[in-house]
Amino acid sequence: MIGQIIREAWISIASYKMRTFLTTLGIMIGVAAVVMMVAAGQTVQNTITESFESMGGNLIIIVPGQSVSGGVRTARGRPSVTFSDVDSLKGMKDVVAASYIVSTTAQAVYGSNNWNVSVAGTTPDYLTVGNWEIDRGIPFTDRDLKSGNPYILLGQTVIDELFGLQDPIGKTIRLNNRPFTVIGTLQPKGDGLMGDDQDNIIMMPATTLRQRLRGSRRPNYADVAFVKVSEENKMETVANRIEYQLRARHRLKEGTDNDFTIRLMTEMVNQARNVGMILSILLASIASISLIVGSIGIMNMMLVSVTERTREIGIRKALGASNRWIMFQFLTESVLISFMGSFVGMILGVVFSQIGGFIFDKTVPISIWSVIISVSVAVIVGVASGLMPAIKAMKLDPIEALRYQ
Amino acid sequence: MNDTHSPVIEVKNLCKTYFMSGGMSQSVLKDISFSIEAGEFVAIMGHSGSGKSTLMNILGCLDKPTSGLYLLNGDLVSDKSELELASVRGHEIGFVFQNFNLLMKRTIADNVSLPLIYQNIGEKERYERALRMLEKVGLTGYENRFPSQISGGMQQRVAIARSLINNPSIIFADEPTGNLDTATSDEIMNLFTRLNQQGITIVLVTHEEDVADYAKRLIKISDGRKEYDGLRQSYQGRQEAK
Repeated sequence: MIGQIIREAWISIASYKMRTFLTTLGIMIGVAAVVMMVAAGQTVQNTITESFESMGGNLIIIVPGQSVSGGVRTARGRPSVTFSDVDSLKGMKDVVAASYIVSTTAQAVYGSNNWNVSVAGTTPDYLTVGNWEIDRGIPFTDRDLKSGNPYILLGQTVIDELFGLQDPIGKTIRLNNRPFTVIGTLQPKGDGLMGDDQDNIIMMPATTLRQRLRGSRRPNYADVAFVKVSEENKMETVANRIEYQLRARHRLKEGTDNDFTIRLMTEMVNQARNVGMILSILLASIASISLIVGSIGIMNMMLVSVTERTREIGIRKALGASNRWIMFQFLTESVLISFMGSFVGMILGVVFSQIGGFIFDKTVPISIWSVIISVSVAVIVGVASGLMPAIKAMKLDPIEALRYQ
Repeated sequence: MNDTHSPVIEVKNLCKTYFMSGGMSQSVLKDISFSIEAGEFVAIMGHSGSGKSTLMNILGCLDKPTSGLYLLNGDLVSDKSELELASVRGHEIGFVFQNFNLLMKRTIADNVSLPLIYQNIGEKERYERALRMLEKVGLTGYENRFPSQISGGMQQRVAIARSLINNPSIIFADEPTGNLDTATSDEIMNLFTRLNQQGITIVLVTHEEDVADYAKRLIKISDGRKEYDGLRQSYQGRQEAK
């Protein structure tokens, strides 16, 4: 019986090709929009997560100054974390590495090329902490840090802009008119969280930067410090230990606020993931509106169809079709329309998501759940929007229906 | 076909009253009783509004009587549910309508085999049986055409083929020549006569004397009551005597 009903429903909707196509179009656009929007949200979510992860996993970030004190925002970034504070954390239990950064921007010049670049004065451990890898050449050492040697590591963008296809190793470039020797290059990392280019960077020993590029009355203070922890579940404990140790070193009395802020990368990643998820839900909700509009289109079309085919319904009933048969035939027609629309919409959604990914140079994941849910929703929508017309068809009096002109 | 001596249709004290809003009611059929034996060719005649169509709708299981009994092949159908009535229509009854009532977007073969869908008969068998029925009404070779591609007379023959396909106990023809010219009407009525000669029970509802002439028996309905029930020729003789 089901096979017969599906066949009859199929022949009926195939008889009105243009009308069926236009009705299907509504659901098609709705499902495609949902799939695309969910994919877009997922891509944003993944980009955020990847950006955080590219900064290094299991990371604790120590920012000098207290960002919020008793609900009031205080002066932020006032130097408070010293190089030796960070060095003292290296021996702490469960700490893999600790490093700090002093940063500035500078005009880099090589030959006739010049380029504005971020400069990070740091320690050799920063490569481990920040998940940086040396592409070619060698990293600078603790000895270079101690001596303030003018050795630098170049990010890929800087190499491209200053050297083109030339090999930069061993070459001397000028930063704010001071000479520095390139001893290594860094493997590319891509865009950062805010779309900033992480490869537009020059790294050098922190002491070198202090002495040659950015002098300070307090030369041994870090702009930001990083601690890499051995395991994710030990981050809270290590953070507490760091707080305790830094408070002791800064001789902070009980009851006073920290003069530093400790942030856990895992928390930030989770926050970012939540933002991404909310974004996905929001986008999918907006896209669902088109799905609702599509379903109203089906209901409208089916109601018109029942009216137009009143006599057909009368004929079928006279020839032995039960009310139930008639209802299922009309319901099957709306489900078929909805299913076809959602199937094509799903394919369009996937294809357009990938095209979008290609244009924006992003890997766009297709969530199998967004596909399953949107197709299920479409079928439910098909049943829901087809139910009223189907019941209307079922209730038609065969005698009246046969008289219908 | 049934045993020639047992009535296919038995109607006892059949009444149909339509109840309208405001407590009004209209009695359309009043105390009708008759029986039709297998193999009979009966014309139900009456003027417009006489109640003949209502009677045919009840006999065709499209409507239910307000009171009285209706037995089809000895089975009481007046109390059956909608689902059971649909089954009776599908298995026991064949309909031929004035305006043919074919599905215009389906082929001739699809139209003829339509009643078999509701009996869960497979596509191949449906098609084969449709071809056999089309042969019976002289439309071999037309199976893949659409109703709009053939004449009115042919369309009515398709409808007759459709009414025969479920091997029914009885065929109800409601003004089957109403939309046809005289020559085509004769052609259709001759086809009914031929089918009746093959043993098929036919009940014809008409207001045309010429068409009723093809039937052997006449039931005349007037103002909801049975006015005459007997041989067609006797009725003619009575009318002439008046």
